[in-house]
Amino acid sequence: MTAIGARSPRSDAEAKVRGLANYGVDYSETGMLHARLLRSPAAAGRITRLDVEVAGRMPGVYAVATAAEAPPHRSGLILMDTPFFADDVVRYEGEPIAMVVAESERLADDAVSSIVLEIEESTPVSDVGQALAPGAVLVHPDLETYQSVPGAAPWPRSGNAGGILTSDPEGVDGAFAAADVVVEDVYVVPRQYQAYLEPKSATASYDGHRWTIHVSHQFPHNVRTRVAQALGVELSRVRVVGEHIGGAFGARLDLGLEQFAALGASMTGRTVKLVNNRSEDLISCMSRENATIRVRSGVMKDGRIVARDFECLMDGGAYAGDTPYLTSIALLMAGSVYRVDTARVVAKSVYTNTAPTGAFRGVSGTYICFAIERHMDQLAHAIGMDRREFRLLNLFESGDAMLNGQVLDDADILSEAFDRVEEVAPWAETGTGMLRGVGIASAIWLTNPLAGSATVTLHEDGHIGVSTAATENGSGAVAMGVRQIAAGEFDVAAEDVFITLPDTDSQAYDAGSQGSRTTHVVGMAVHNAATQMKTRLFDIASGLLNLLPEDLELRGGNVCMRGDASVSVPLAEVAGAALRSGGPLSATGSYSVPLPKWDPDAADGLLFPAFPVPTYHVHLAEVEVDPVDGRVRVTRYVVAQEVGRMINPDGVYGQIQGGVAQGVGYALWEGLENVEGRYTRRTLESYGLPLAVDIPDVEMIVLEHPHEAGPFGAKGVAEPPIVPVAAAIANAVADATGANIVRLPIDPEQVLNALDMRDS
Amino acid sequence: MFRAVTTVDAALRALDELGPGAQVIAGGTDVMIQRMTGSLSKSEPLVHIGRISEMRGVSLGSESITIGALSTHRDIRTDPILAAHLPSFVQASSTVGGWQTQEVGTIGGNVCNASPAADLGAPLLMAQATLVLVSSGGERRLQAADFFLGRRQTALEFGELLTAIEVPIPAPGSWETYIKIGRRSAMEVAIVGLAARFVVDGAVSAARLAFCSVAPRPMRVPDAEVSLVGTMLEDEAIAAAGRLCASAVSPIDDQRATASYRTSVVPRLVRQAAEACRSELV
Ligand SMILES: Cc1cc2nc3c(=O)[nH]c(=O)nc-3n(C[C@H](O)[C@H](O)[C@H](O)COP(=O)(O)OP(=O)(O)OC[C@H]3O[C@@H](n4cnc5c(N)ncnc54)[C@H](O)[C@@H]3O)c2cc1C
Repeated sequence: MTAIGARSPRSDAEAKVRGLANYGVDYSETGMLHARLLRSPAAAGRITRLDVEVAGRMPGVYAVATAAEAPPHRSGLILMDTPFFADDVVRYEGEPIAMVVAESERLADDAVSSIVLEIEESTPVSDVGQALAPGAVLVHPDLETYQSVPGAAPWPRSGNAGGILTSDPEGVDGAFAAADVVVEDVYVVPRQYQAYLEPKSATASYDGHRWTIHVSHQFPHNVRTRVAQALGVELSRVRVVGEHIGGAFGARLDLGLEQFAALGASMTGRTVKLVNNRSEDLISCMSRENATIRVRSGVMKDGRIVARDFECLMDGGAYAGDTPYLTSIALLMAGSVYRVDTARVVAKSVYTNTAPTGAFRGVSGTYICFAIERHMDQLAHAIGMDRREFRLLNLFESGDAMLNGQVLDDADILSEAFDRVEEVAPWAETGTGMLRGVGIASAIWLTNPLAGSATVTLHEDGHIGVSTAATENGSGAVAMGVRQIAAGEFDVAAEDVFITLPDTDSQAYDAGSQGSRTTHVVGMAVHNAATQMKTRLFDIASGLLNLLPEDLELRGGNVCMRGDASVSVPLAEVAGAALRSGGPLSATGSYSVPLPKWDPDAADGLLFPAFPVPTYHVHLAEVEVDPVDGRVRVTRYVVAQEVGRMINPDGVYGQIQGGVAQGVGYALWEGLENVEGRYTRRTLESYGLPLAVDIPDVEMIVLEHPHEAGPFGAKGVAEPPIVPVAAAIANAVADATGANIVRLPIDPEQVLNALDMRDS
Repeated sequence: MFRAVTTVDAALRALDELGPGAQVIAGGTDVMIQRMTGSLSKSEPLVHIGRISEMRGVSLGSESITIGALSTHRDIRTDPILAAHLPSFVQASSTVGGWQTQEVGTIGGNVCNASPAADLGAPLLMAQATLVLVSSGGERRLQAADFFLGRRQTALEFGELLTAIEVPIPAPGSWETYIKIGRRSAMEVAIVGLAARFVVDGAVSAARLAFCSVAPRPMRVPDAEVSLVGTMLEDEAIAAAGRLCASAVSPIDDQRATASYRTSVVPRLVRQAAEACRSELV
C-alpha cells in the first residue's frame, strides 16, 4: 500500500461539496454581537470631527470604538507603522476609523451611518512616481521614529520608501560600455485582488484575561502575534482557532479584521463577529502591488548578456505590510534563469495614499518575470536571434549562481524543461499564422523555508491522527499532501489518517500556508515525528512478535517481520499494547528548511536572502488575437514544472491549472487602478476575474527530481505556476501583433491600438 | 411587500391598487440588483409577474412571430422558430450574462429595463418589432423605435405591462446576426453590440444596422443602411458603411471601455457582419 503518488480524494472534499464545512464566515456563538467598521471615504486628509455620541446611544449598540478607545501604539508585520484606527490622519480610502458593536449587523450599520465624520481632504499621493518625486508630500513624516519588529534585520528606508534594496557591484557601467547593443524597457503592472470566495471575517471572545479568535486564516500563529502586538499584550493571552478557509492566495497571511473583533470582545465582554462586505473587502484588501519596472541590458552580437540595470518600484500603499521583504525578489530574479555577467539592482517599496498591498501567490515574482521575459524577447530581436535560441544560449546550468551568490546545484533541470516543452509544442510550428503567436517564459522559484511542526498519534484503532497548526487554504497541501505523507510514513491508506484544524493553544508554531511550504516543511515535521514514534512502536511490537525491532517493518496497517508479511501484528493492537507499556504512541516533530549559502554582501536591505529548495519552470503560451475587437484568446498553454515528487497527481495538476487561470486573469483582464487614490473598479462585476470559458486546458509536464531531505522527495508546488504566466502570454501577444507589450492587463484596447499602429 | 400574480388581469389590478411606486418584477436580475445598490427604492412593493404563463413562449403567425415578454433568455436561445427566422435574437439571448442569468432573465425585463447595453435592444430595433403594452385601460402597440426614449427611459407608463413582442417575419433572402463585444466570453455587459440584417437578392436590396452601448439607447444608422443598398457588399462598400456608422455613434468612456475604443470597434463589427453575410449569400 503506498499513499505516495496516489490519487486519493482530499479529506475535506465531501464536507466542502455538501456544504457541511464550516468556514470562518459561518462561525457563530449564541448571544454573539456584530460589529461594523466606519472606513475612511477619503484617500488622504485630516480628521477634523469625529462624533460618535448619537451612535453610542442608539438602541442595541453595545460599544463604539475609535482611536481614543484603542491602544495608542502602532503595529505592523515588519515595521510598526500602522495605527489601530486612523486617529488624526487618514492615509487611504477604506482605512478603519471607528467600530460599532451592536446586537445585529443591521443595527451596527445604522449606528455607523450616524457617526459624524468630517475630513479635511488633501491631495493624495496616488502613485509611485509622485511619491518618489523630489519634494513629495510624505505619507509618513515620522517614518524615522517607527520601530521595526523585534528580531528583524535592519534595512534602509527613507522619505516615501519604506524599504530599499540596493545591489551595485563595481564594473556595471564598464560592462555596458563594452556591450554591442543596449536595450531599455519600462513595464507597468496594476494591482491584482486575491478575490477569494469567502470574504474576510473574524469572531472573538474574551474571558477577562485571554482572547479566543475564530477565523479562516492561512497563518493562525501570525494572527496571535499580530493581535497581541496590536493590543499590546503577551502572545499567550491570544488563542487563535482556525476554521475552513474559503480561498486566500496570500490575502490571509497578515491581520485582517481580527484585532477589531478582539477589541470589541474585550470592550463588551461578549463574543463579537465582524464580516467584510464584498466591496469593502475589495477596496481594503492587501492586493498584489502595482509596480513599475525598468530593465536595461547590454548584449553582445553573439547573444551573451554582459550587463543589466534593474529597477523595480513597488507600490506598498499606506502601510508597509510585507512589501519591504518583497523587494528582495528583485535581486533573486534579475539575474537568474539566464546568465547575466553583472547587474545593478534597485528595488523600493513605496508609500502612497492607497490601500496597503501585500502577499498574493507569486508575489512580486509574477511581474518581475513578466518584465525580464518580455525584455529577453526584445533583446533577441535587437540582435536578430531567435527568442528561444537566445534563451537556451544563456540558460542556467547546474553550478551557476544567482545574484545573491546562491549556487544552484540542479539548474540543469531548466534545460530538461525546455526540451520537454519542445517535444509537445515544437517552437517552429506553434503560434504560426495570421494574428497568432507563441511566447515562452521561465522561472526559478522557492519553497518557503519557515518553521512548522506536527504531532502524530497512533490511535487504538490503528488510525493515524495528525495535529498541526498548518492550514489547508484550499490547495490540498494538508488535505492531500500532509495526510498522504503521514499515511506513507506508516504504510496505511490515506483514509486512515485524519488531521485536526489549527489551534494555537494546542499546537506549536507553524508559519502558515505560504510559498508552497506546507507539503514540504510540515511533511518533514510529520516525518520527524513518525521517525521518533516508530522507535517505541517497533519496541512494543518486537515484544508482541518476539522479534528484534530492527527486523520489523510497517506494511499495510501492520507491523511485520521484514520480508515476511505473514508474521505480523496490526497497528491497532500495538497502539493498545502501548497504553499498558509506557502510554500512548504519540510524538511531535518540527522542521525548518536550512537556508542555502548566500553572499551577505550581495545587496543592502536583503531581507529575504535566498531561494531554498528551488524549483524550475518553463511555460509556453499560444494565442490568437481577434482583429475585430482586439481580444486575446489563449489557444494553448503548456507547463513543465519541477515538483520533486508528486504526493498526489490531482493536487499537482489542480494547482498548476489554477495558477495558470489566475495568471491568465492577471495577464488579460484583472487590475485595480486608482484615480486620486480611489479605485475605479469597486465590485467583482467590474473587476474582471477570468471565467472558465476563457481558460485553456493546461497541458502539464511534471518533472520529478526527488529532494534528498524528503518528505518522500516532495518540493513546493502550488505557488509558482502563476509566476511565468503573464510573461508567456505577453510574449505570445507581442509575437502575434508585432507590438512591444509593456503593460498589464493586455486589454483589447491596447491590442487594437497596436494593430492600428502596425497597419498604418 | 411582495405580491405574486398568475394572470395579466391580476397583475394590472395589483398595479392599479398599489399605485406608481409599485415595481414589476419578472426574473428580477435587474430589479433586485437595483434595489440592492440603491438605484431603486428598497421599500416599494414588488409585483411578481414571473408565473403568468400566458405571457411566455414563442409562436409563429402568418406575418409575424410573437415572443411572450416573460420568455427567458434560455427559452429564446433554444427556440426552433427563432433559430429558423430570427437567429439574431437567439445569438443575443445566448450572450446575456451566464447560464444562470439566462435561466431567469426575461426578454421583457431586458427591454423594459432599457439599459443602453441591453443585448435585445439592438435586434428589436433592427427587426422593427412592435411592443404590445397592456393596462387596465386597454392595449396599445408601439414600434421599438418609439419605445426606447433614453438611458433607462421607455414609453412604458405606470400601470402598464409589456405582454408580448411581435416581430415581422423577415423577407426571403434575409441574413442576420448579432455580434457582441465584451472583454470576456461571458458575464459581460456589451461594450458594443451590433444587430445586422442584409436582404440579398443578387445585390443587397435592404440593410439594417442597429447598435447598442454606443448611445443612450439602441440606435440604427440609416445612412449606412442606405449606402449598402444595391451593392454586392464589396470591401469598399463595407468600409464606407463602417465609416458612416463610426461617425453616427456617440459612445461614452466608462469602466468597461473608452469611447475611442468603442468607436474604433464599430466599423470592424460592420465589416465582420457584412463579410460573413457575403461569404454565405453573395
Ligand atoms: C450577472 C448578470 C449578468 C447580466 N448580463 C447581462 C448581459 O450580458 N446583457 C444584458 O442585456 N443584460 C444583462 N443582465 C441584466 C438582466 O439580466 C437582463 O436585462 C434581463 O433580461 C432582465 O430580465 P428580468 O426578467 O430579470 O428583469 P427584472 O429585473 O425582473 O425587470 C427589469 C425591469 O423591467 C421591468 N419589467 C420586467 N418585465 C416587465 C414587463 N413584462 N412589463 C413591464 N415591465 C417589466 C421591471 O419592472 C424592471 O424595471 C445581467 C444581469 C446579471 C445579474
